Amino acid sequence: MRHLEQELVSLRQDVIDMWRLVISQVSNAGEAILSFDKDLAAKVSLREKKVDAYELKIDGFCENIIALYQPVAIDLRFVLAVFKINSNLERIADFANGISHILVNNPSVILDAEVILDTRLQVMINQVNKMLAQGLEAFENEKSNFAAAIFSEDSQVDEINEKSVQVIADYIQKNPDRAYECLELIGIFRKLERIGDHCANIAEEIFFYIDAKVLKHSPKDKK
Amino acid sequence: MLTIDAKNVDFYYSEFHALKNISLEVEKNKVVALIGPSGCGKSTFLRLLNRMNDLIPGTRMTGSVLFEGEDIYAPNVHVDELRKKVGMVFQKPNPFPKTIFENVAYGLRVNGIKDETFIEQRVVESIKSAALWDEVKDKMKKSAFALSGGQQQRLCIARALAISPKVVLMDEPASALDPISTAKIEELIYELKKDYTIIIVTHNMQQASRVSDKTAYFYLGEMIEFDETTKIFTNPKEHSTQNYVTGRFG
Ligand SMILES: Nc1ncnc2c1ncn2[C@@H]1O[C@H](COP(=O)(O)OP(=O)(O)OP(=O)(O)O)[C@@H](O)[C@H]1O
Ligand SMILES: [Mg+2]
Repeated sequence: MRHLEQELVSLRQDVIDMWRLVISQVSNAGEAILSFDKDLAAKVSLREKKVDAYELKIDGFCENIIALYQPVAIDLRFVLAVFKINSNLERIADFANGISHILVNNPSVILDAEVILDTRLQVMINQVNKMLAQGLEAFENEKSNFAAAIFSEDSQVDEINEKSVQVIADYIQKNPDRAYECLELIGIFRKLERIGDHCANIAEEIFFYIDAKVLKHSPKDKK
Repeated sequence: MLTIDAKNVDFYYSEFHALKNISLEVEKNKVVALIGPSGCGKSTFLRLLNRMNDLIPGTRMTGSVLFEGEDIYAPNVHVDELRKKVGMVFQKPNPFPKTIFENVAYGLRVNGIKDETFIEQRVVESIKSAALWDEVKDKMKKSAFALSGGQQQRLCIARALAISPKVVLMDEPASALDPISTAKIEELIYELKKDYTIIIVTHNMQQASRVSDKTAYFYLGEMIEFDETTKIFTNPKEHSTQNYVTGRFG
């Protein structure tokens, strides 16, 4: 194998490792919120530094490959896609950390089971976990079609987020003393919605890398 | 009108089928790079464009090559006239054992030009176009052999430009040069594009991508892909092209 190919193989492995870590960060953050597990939330916060370290490492790796090997065609698309996927993954991990922080910083936050059910928080959490996993599967197998569903799933996530606002508003009217927790809950939805957006960005990069298609700022249903 | 229009060209060295059904169109003031592994037929094709292969015994060609709409292999074409319009620069700098000035004046003299003022003016212009003037302006009467390899190559380019060709064919013009001379030749190609149409053979992928507008990938005598250079280097259609440009070939 040529030197560039070896470099690309280890870059790919770093991205996969980072991706798995980010997946576990998001699913742990979701689980921590749903089960009010402060220890788990603290664990997520602790591992945030590991994600940041991956981000820096992958950035440097991409920069070196471009400077030293001037990749072209699929190799170039791969490095460019990785460069962007890297920063999207880091943002996703930031949001997971932000969600955990709500628990870590507010030991008193206990969310009502009723509002959690009515807002479909669990569905939303499952959905973004699924999107992240689909992205990784597509990337690992170099099969863009594995990532195709992510765009419509992102729309579903947006929809759950929008509907949750009304549910929470109604709940606050009935339970004004819980307004603070409810604002935190809106924050959680907002972060999950942003995670969905970043998953969709990642899916675009996967299509760019594998199929050389630019899907950015275009309707996604015609694929 | 197309500057070069090769249509269904087949070429044989005796029995050996060196070019297979090549069709390639080159527009005016464009740079086209020919790339492909050694022995794929790049130089053979380039030489066909100013009939340099005519000199090799036992060769045979079918198909046609048009230069500005005229068939260059038509019986009434004078090869010398053709080569005034389609000049060539070779891989190794090949200055004549003459002064720097006379090297560039050579083409004008053999074409019967006697007007010394005109010759001098044209020599200076050509050397300037070849980005060599500052380095040689004080030693025009010195031997061309006293120049460095990179300077000699630019001198050969100046010599090709002196007779005001329309097309300049370059067969690996920078392969024997250091990075600075190579960069100068590449800058030069970029400048020359304003006035000339250029077809360049190169083994250096980065060079092809830096200097050309379009790239043709040759393999085993066939032209596998011909497209915009940006396309060839970001998303080539053919798998074989991708393997070649990414260096995964063979
Ligand atoms: N004068 C000749 N007589 C017979 N065969 C020749 C002659 N010149 C070239 N060939 C053959 O024709 C094929 C194409 O040669 P050509 O020189 O065009 O290749 P190329 O693509 O320019 O290679 P390189 O990159 O090594 O310069 C080769 O297989 C070569 O051996
Ligand atoms: Mg050759």
